[in-house]
Amino acid sequence: MVEHVKTDAELVAGTLRGSQDAFRELVVRFERPVYSLVQRMVHDPATAEDLAQEVFVKAYRRLDSFDPQWKFSSWLFKIAHNTTIDHLRRGVPETVPLESDEEGRGDLSAVLADEGAESPAAAAERRDLARSLERAISRLRPEYRQAVLMFYAQGASYQEICEATGLPLGTVKTNLHRARRELAEAMTALGWGPGETGKARAS
Amino acid sequence: MTAMRPSPHDALNRWLAAERDASLEAGDAADVADAALREVFAALPQLAPAAGFADRVLARAGLQPATRDVFASRALRLALVLSLIAVSFGALWVPPAVRVLARLWTLSDAVQLGVRALAEGSRGLATALRVGEWLFALGRALSVPLMTPQVMAALTAGLLVSGLAFRFLRDQLTGERSLSYVDPLG
Repeated sequence: MVEHVKTDAELVAGTLRGSQDAFRELVVRFERPVYSLVQRMVHDPATAEDLAQEVFVKAYRRLDSFDPQWKFSSWLFKIAHNTTIDHLRRGVPETVPLESDEEGRGDLSAVLADEGAESPAAAAERRDLARSLERAISRLRPEYRQAVLMFYAQGASYQEICEATGLPLGTVKTNLHRARRELAEAMTALGWGPGETGKARAS
Repeated sequence: MTAMRPSPHDALNRWLAAERDASLEAGDAADVADAALREVFAALPQLAPAAGFADRVLARAGLQPATRDVFASRALRLALVLSLIAVSFGALWVPPAVRVLARLWTLSDAVQLGVRALAEGSRGLATALRVGEWLFALGRALSVPLMTPQVMAALTAGLLVSGLAFRFLRDQLTGERSLSYVDPLG
């Protein structure tokens, strides 16, 4: 027998009726995308854990204001966006990934380094690329970084980013375009690109 | 077995090539770049919080108390077992030790020991009081030259400057930062 997988709307309704299990299911369903987004914004696992918890607690407390016509994920990402941007605006210094962070669990370096499936040289280059990408992302201004992570990493649509950030469609598209260009310039400056692999990075 | 993930390098090169390829129409280049960059990110698994995240969220939302199994740690369990063994062995020595002490000591011995301990304690206290008195006298002697108006003014000014400097540094470190972007590569 195929088990019925509850929709987000059903879980929200269950939570509003007082079911803790329904809320727990919502948290489990969205903990990875929310945590990934926040972690790549703040670059600190402990802060990301705290902020991600805060996102879900805020969502729980404001659930009665959720309009079921929205997608729950869009609404949740809007809370994640506001919470993260508020944190960054409070002026808490961001943790910049260290170049020597070989074992930094949770950053791109760690997840890209799949040494078990590659030769040591390929694994080293993959790690190098991951570190560069991490650095390039961390150099984007927060609103660009958020757009890039939502669009490219989370696969969100333009409309979902508009709803999460409260920005008009044109601004979102412009931000994404500029963010992508800046990311490309940063990666090129770090020595990546066709025909340049290893050249600039070796210097 | 570890599954071979597609290398993100090809997608990265396609993305960067599309960004600099002037021969493509702007829309085409953007589409190619978008698709390639999505491929780069698709090669990256999503990050995950530490296990038990949902429980911590529920506890923070006040839905259930945060329970923590204190015996979850293997080191703690081992330490507990070793402590119990040590206490058990120690307990075996208690009755013979009490018997030996009872044979060795009489009531007058115990009283004598108590009086001697009291005398030693009083002597220690007197020594401590003498040291305290000496320190107090030293402090008073040192404070006399500092009580002049000039020294007090200099001290106050020094404290004021230090306080202002500390506040300035703290503002620099934690004050609200402008979110306007400065290209660190430029």
